[in-house]
Amino acid sequence: MKMSSRGLDSTTDSTSQFATIEKTEPSKRYTPPWTKPYIIGIGGFSGSGKTSISQKIILELNQPWTVLLLCDNFYKALTEEERKLALASQYDFDCPAAMDLELLVEKLDSLKRGKKTEIQIYSFSEHNRTEKLFTIYGANVIILEGIMALYDQRLLDMMDIKVFVDTDLDVCLARRLTRDILYRGRDLVGALQQWERFVKPNAVKHIYPTIRNADLVIPRGLDNTTAIDLLIQHVKKQLAVKSKLHIQRLEALGHNFQFNVQSCKNLHILPSTPHTRGIHSIILSKKTERTDFIFYFDRMSNLLIEMALDTLTNYTSVDIRCIKDYTYKGLKQTLEVIAVSVIRSGDCFMNSMKKSIPDIPIGKLLIQSDASTGEPHLHTESLPKREHLAKYILLDAQMIGGAGAIMAIQVLIDHKVKQEDIILVCYLLSEIAMRRLFRVFPEITVVVGKLSNSEEVDTTYNMEGFKDSDWPFLNRFIDSLYFGTD
Amino acid sequence: MATETGKNVILLPQTNQLIGLYSIIRDQATKRGDFVFYSDRIIRLLVEEGLNQLPVEETLIKCHGGHEYKGSRFLGKICGVSIVRAGESMEMGLRDCCRSVRIGKILIQRDEETALPKLFYEKLPEDISERYVFLLDPMLATGGSAMMATEVLISRGVDASRILFLNLLASPEGIAAFHEKYPEVKIITGGIDEKLDEDKYIVPGLGDFGDRYYCI
Repeated sequence: MKMSSRGLDSTTDSTSQFATIEKTEPSKRYTPPWTKPYIIGIGGFSGSGKTSISQKIILELNQPWTVLLLCDNFYKALTEEERKLALASQYDFDCPAAMDLELLVEKLDSLKRGKKTEIQIYSFSEHNRTEKLFTIYGANVIILEGIMALYDQRLLDMMDIKVFVDTDLDVCLARRLTRDILYRGRDLVGALQQWERFVKPNAVKHIYPTIRNADLVIPRGLDNTTAIDLLIQHVKKQLAVKSKLHIQRLEALGHNFQFNVQSCKNLHILPSTPHTRGIHSIILSKKTERTDFIFYFDRMSNLLIEMALDTLTNYTSVDIRCIKDYTYKGLKQTLEVIAVSVIRSGDCFMNSMKKSIPDIPIGKLLIQSDASTGEPHLHTESLPKREHLAKYILLDAQMIGGAGAIMAIQVLIDHKVKQEDIILVCYLLSEIAMRRLFRVFPEITVVVGKLSNSEEVDTTYNMEGFKDSDWPFLNRFIDSLYFGTD
Repeated sequence: MATETGKNVILLPQTNQLIGLYSIIRDQATKRGDFVFYSDRIIRLLVEEGLNQLPVEETLIKCHGGHEYKGSRFLGKICGVSIVRAGESMEMGLRDCCRSVRIGKILIQRDEETALPKLFYEKLPEDISERYVFLLDPMLATGGSAMMATEVLISRGVDASRILFLNLLASPEGIAAFHEKYPEVKIITGGIDEKLDEDKYIVPGLGDFGDRYYCI
């Protein structure tokens, strides 16, 4: 069995740079990496090789959630007359006025603030925005690419690095002609006319001057492997700093935070009875066969889920008509309950979840921790779309450092779920993870099977004397055993 | 945590959720599919509470990674005994928690002539006297059949203190009558209703459990 250790607790050297940021930022808040994503602006002439360079950067960075945002999707919708001109190659697409820069600024700003953002796709055959949307959420790196990428000051202000691809205009023309004639069905005369009339004059007048806004100029485009390598090295370094900061912030969340388990109304720990201890024993024992492990984990999760459902307060009283017209003062739930499973350890609860609410809607999140740093990354999210209020039961079998869970809750909050509507269900929870969770999200409800202690053991709720440093609280093993794969 | 409302009477905690579940199964408009599903959920809670009453012994568990845990091991063998037919509806809930549990059956019916319950059939595990017995009958109204079943169990050598009587709904009269005769049997119930009416139905009750689970 492969066990990844708690990366978050490995000592990370703090440079003075981090220290000052820690002081100025309140550590009560969690800033996920998609808030303030790293934004790379790439400008240059049409045909200069911007797209190829962007793709190379994406490939080399190998970061989850790197998004390429094309300025091409932000052309203004054309009127009927303008469309006719466009079809006759008489419309000027290359001047700044052809772009809807307001919209682009708005969308980039939304992304910069970590919001879920929808971008309409622009159709070049219709010269209009289409109904097709693509949704960006959780991006860690955004590459904004287009001839006007470095034109607007508001965009420049949001970028972390600005790159201008400076390729000779005659090389650009050659590439453009190939592309227009071979792939876009234009004729040579039309393509040349467009170049002469609009593309070249605009390139000289509007685009070339934006080179002054660049931090880095790459002459000769994609051929200039040295410059591109340097750029990628630089970006990688910046991202490493960002990641380190992210980890440090997460770590700091649990420190210097007085927290009394007994007086926390939002924390529900499964009572320790001879019976539950017997089930813990079977789950934790090395001798347990997998079939028994699954059976007893299902029973444990059934207890935890019933406990989680018990915490719900969204009930209204109803009169129930029983046999012989007797009336029973009953209760009815007023809100829908939705399950959200953190892949894969949350999936261990699914069997029991369906036994309690067979038709429960289920959302999934994939959050993986980087093996070397322990930094959590959001890889994918799919949540049931709800306009109305609902209760969300977030499932995760084990929490070691708590970073993944904090990220998962942030994702729900970004989807307009309120803290008080979130119930986190976890079988094994370390105290440090719990502190971090409540530090950032004091209003959530947490239902836990076993809570360990980081320092002194508090036997009032931790009769077994579990500590954060004990093996079961340091290693992910529940999902490995449950699913039978590392 | 379940509360012991009287000696050897254990009532499941009356949480909003549990009351919500009872609201569904008590409702005459509830369809059979939902009735079965939500009854099963309550039955599992009853079985978990029953298992909670069984003795354990402390033992040192060897965990993965060389860690040791002072846990406990279940002691004592158990078996289920259902009173045919309504009691059989609780067998699935029992199996959900104890996979290969042995289950005995007792058929008791009202004698047409005397109107008293009469034993028609019994099939019990050979070694039942060595086991803890989960007696299954969803409704404790007058307690007539349950008392007869308990009589059968005791005659087979089962110690009364090793019998746990699981039911979804009990009447105060039924509990009193049953405990007058067998005070050592633990009654584990999900709800205690107001009273019995003149026809010996539990008020407000939920109707004939067997009919609603199997037929209607």
